[in-house]
Amino acid sequence: MRNRFTELFEGLLNSNPFKNYYKKNRLRPPGAANEETFMELCIRCARCIEVCPYDSIERADLFEKLQIGTPYVYPENKACYLCMRCMKVCPTGALNPKLTDGKHVRMGIAVINQNICLNFLYYKDEMTGVSSTGTAQLCGTCYNVCPYTDEAIVMEKFILPVVTDKCTGCGICTEKCPATPEKAIAIYPEGMPVDKNTGYFGRRSKVHGEERKKSKDALKGEKLLEEKQKIDSSDAKPDFEYNTENYDQEW
Amino acid sequence: MKIKRYRRAAQLLTVFAIFFIPVLNVFELYFIKGTFISMDIGDAAMADPLAVFQSMIAAGRVNEYMLGSVVIPVVLMLLLGRVWCSWFCPYYLCAEFMSWMRGKLRMKAYKPKFAENIHIKQSKVRYIFLFAGLVLMAVAGVPILNLISAPGIISTQAMVLVKFHYVTFELVFVAVLLLLELFYFRFWCRFLCPTGTFLSFFRSKRGMTVRKVRTECSDCMSCVRSCPMMINPMTMGDTSHCNNCGDCVDACPDNKKEDTLKFTFK
Repeated sequence: MRNRFTELFEGLLNSNPFKNYYKKNRLRPPGAANEETFMELCIRCARCIEVCPYDSIERADLFEKLQIGTPYVYPENKACYLCMRCMKVCPTGALNPKLTDGKHVRMGIAVINQNICLNFLYYKDEMTGVSSTGTAQLCGTCYNVCPYTDEAIVMEKFILPVVTDKCTGCGICTEKCPATPEKAIAIYPEGMPVDKNTGYFGRRSKVHGEERKKSKDALKGEKLLEEKQKIDSSDAKPDFEYNTENYDQEW
Repeated sequence: MKIKRYRRAAQLLTVFAIFFIPVLNVFELYFIKGTFISMDIGDAAMADPLAVFQSMIAAGRVNEYMLGSVVIPVVLMLLLGRVWCSWFCPYYLCAEFMSWMRGKLRMKAYKPKFAENIHIKQSKVRYIFLFAGLVLMAVAGVPILNLISAPGIISTQAMVLVKFHYVTFELVFVAVLLLLELFYFRFWCRFLCPTGTFLSFFRSKRGMTVRKVRTECSDCMSCVRSCPMMINPMTMGDTSHCNNCGDCVDACPDNKKEDTLKFTFK
């Protein structure tokens, strides 16, 4: 029963402008398959949004065209903490309910921007012997906050963070990254490794960075240094007594 | 005791639940969770059959989670008829409120005169609208009929309001529908609502239906006048249009003397 008409009909159903309308990728909650299958299965019942204890999952607004009501995670605001609750409540299996271990989640992959990451900058300065920024800062936050430390993020040469295939894409590193205004580590959603294709996700990340630049409350640059130099502990003494009696004892 | 009182109590309870369930979830009590598109009570999952049907078509496959979540609504539909619409749907309550408002404002809505074949016209519009929606959905590959499901929008917006403290523009759609409700008598529930249309496919004649028990009555036609779905409850109680609201049973003057129009199981 395959002829020209059925093929035409199939082609109409599978590749029309409407179909690609929503192909702006988002970071979906854990357990979501690829974007196309997810959009077909998701009935926008908002149960995963309701059940999320960290308010990580947000609800897509009216302005996102056909994506209205679908859940997404925006790790710069709030990352996914892999509590594995949302996939259990999904009524259609858009989020795979068989997934119980956070290790098998593949929401996306973290990508480190080596021009911003403090550790990479420090390493470059160390190699050339010239400090480009005038400061020497070491960070390692992403390595510390990663739920799968030494598996998903490893420290190369003890200072350079490198993301491996075991990255779940939860985005905790992105949330906690101290680099401003742009985060040095970003999550590229599953199946969208190219920066251009991240669409709305990428665009919003840019806007977010600019907003943060403008905000007056944030301490940055020399102000932050001044503020930090005020912290003085030269005269401070501990308010407990040292117990030195047992120091020589053998354990 | 009038049936309307029980019905009103059930409707108000659902409106209360719409706001109370998200509050429970904010305090991390997860016994009941979800919105009126899909809900969990304990381990029993329920979902809007139309929503699940759409995702079945769009994805082209069926899995056990989909089937499991449809069981309870379909069984309820087979046993009690389309009680979801009249007894629980929050939009239906709003529409009834708008009818009451219309009375207060002394406006006259467009309400066609009763005719025996009016339900056939209604059916045509309903099924064509549902079918067109399903075709559009297949083209887009996204369950878009959920976006115009009025009770779904109301309950999702309530959840968003409680959890994130804002509402989105989808609520404007419901507001427009309710405004139009002032001018056209129950046009959404009678003609267009895709959820109600899809639910009425599961209407069984053996479930709860309104029937005329006695052969003769005073023929006052007050049941016909009271029916919000514009059908004749004496003869068409078992069609898919009737949503078992019980307004006709309340309106019947003969019921006081002897049971004439009653809810019966067959």
